[in-house]
Amino acid sequence: MRVKLLYNTDPEALKAAMRAKGAAEDPEVLLDHVVYMFEIEDCSRVTTHQLVRHRAASYDQESQRFSAATREGVVTPPSVQKSQAALAAYDEALKAVYAAYEKMVAAGVPKEDARYILPSAIKTKLVMTINARSLMHVVWQRTALQAQWEIRELANTMLGLARDATPELWTKIQER
Amino acid sequence: MFISNGRLARQRVMKVSLVWSSPSPERTIAVAMRRCYSTKTIEEIESELEQKGAEYWKYLLTKCMQDKSLDVLEHFTLSLTVEGFGEDDAAKVASCFPYVRISGLGAESWLMSLNARTLVEMWRAPAARKLAESIVSELDSKNVCPVFNQVVFGEKADAR
Repeated sequence: MRVKLLYNTDPEALKAAMRAKGAAEDPEVLLDHVVYMFEIEDCSRVTTHQLVRHRAASYDQESQRFSAATREGVVTPPSVQKSQAALAAYDEALKAVYAAYEKMVAAGVPKEDARYILPSAIKTKLVMTINARSLMHVVWQRTALQAQWEIRELANTMLGLARDATPELWTKIQER
Repeated sequence: MFISNGRLARQRVMKVSLVWSSPSPERTIAVAMRRCYSTKTIEEIESELEQKGAEYWKYLLTKCMQDKSLDVLEHFTLSLTVEGFGEDDAAKVASCFPYVRISGLGAESWLMSLNARTLVEMWRAPAARKLAESIVSELDSKNVCPVFNQVVFGEKADAR
């Protein structure tokens, strides 16, 4: 998985505007107005299904209607990798699924219909724009130990990038 | 979406000032649009967009407006201060446009953040048109997104 911060609102610009109007520089206000745009690559569709449950954000994701799927582009969970038997079963199922996908496309089935058979393990790419308050909610929920390993990795990576870009907003992560 | 019949910003003079906006808005929208249809990495998409240049960004924006795919506009975000705008006006905006963030800075003075999709929706809603026009006019005067304004809101600022 790879995550990149494409841009974020400059908190200094917001603080200058607050000062100019004689308002207090309330960190709570910054949380509403600072926005981050992330590019996320090569996480599974399992994880993006979890991610888009956080509705107060904007998402644009690579479409499977038009781009062809390849067998290399799948995520294999560590628990599957640990067991030879599990890995063999996983690989066998993927082989069968991709063979069927390719046969259907070759037979003239549109990719948008052939994709119905594709696994949730398939890797995807998306852009996501979210404000600091909503991102803090994502971080609170998805870095918890009960969260699944892949979205926990994603949430921790986004937290690291947001914290590096705007440290003052992330000195304290509160439940929201 | 609920749109009140009451007009926003009664006859008071409203002043909108830009605080911050996404860098290169037209390019940001083009990145989001290419993300939907490309298997390339972000670096490859960015390099493709640089090579093809601003005319291509304009082509993508025109296409997304024709297709009514306004979701890609959501990645162009901006923050503004708005003055001459009462509590009731701010409450109406907050209830009609849930993705707008509004924080009070003092008497009739607000910090407002929104994305460009919401700006388009405000432009199209009679009750919020005046506010949208003030924002677009401010974006024009700061030359933030001339191509976006031309494609989305019309040919010339003066003629709008």
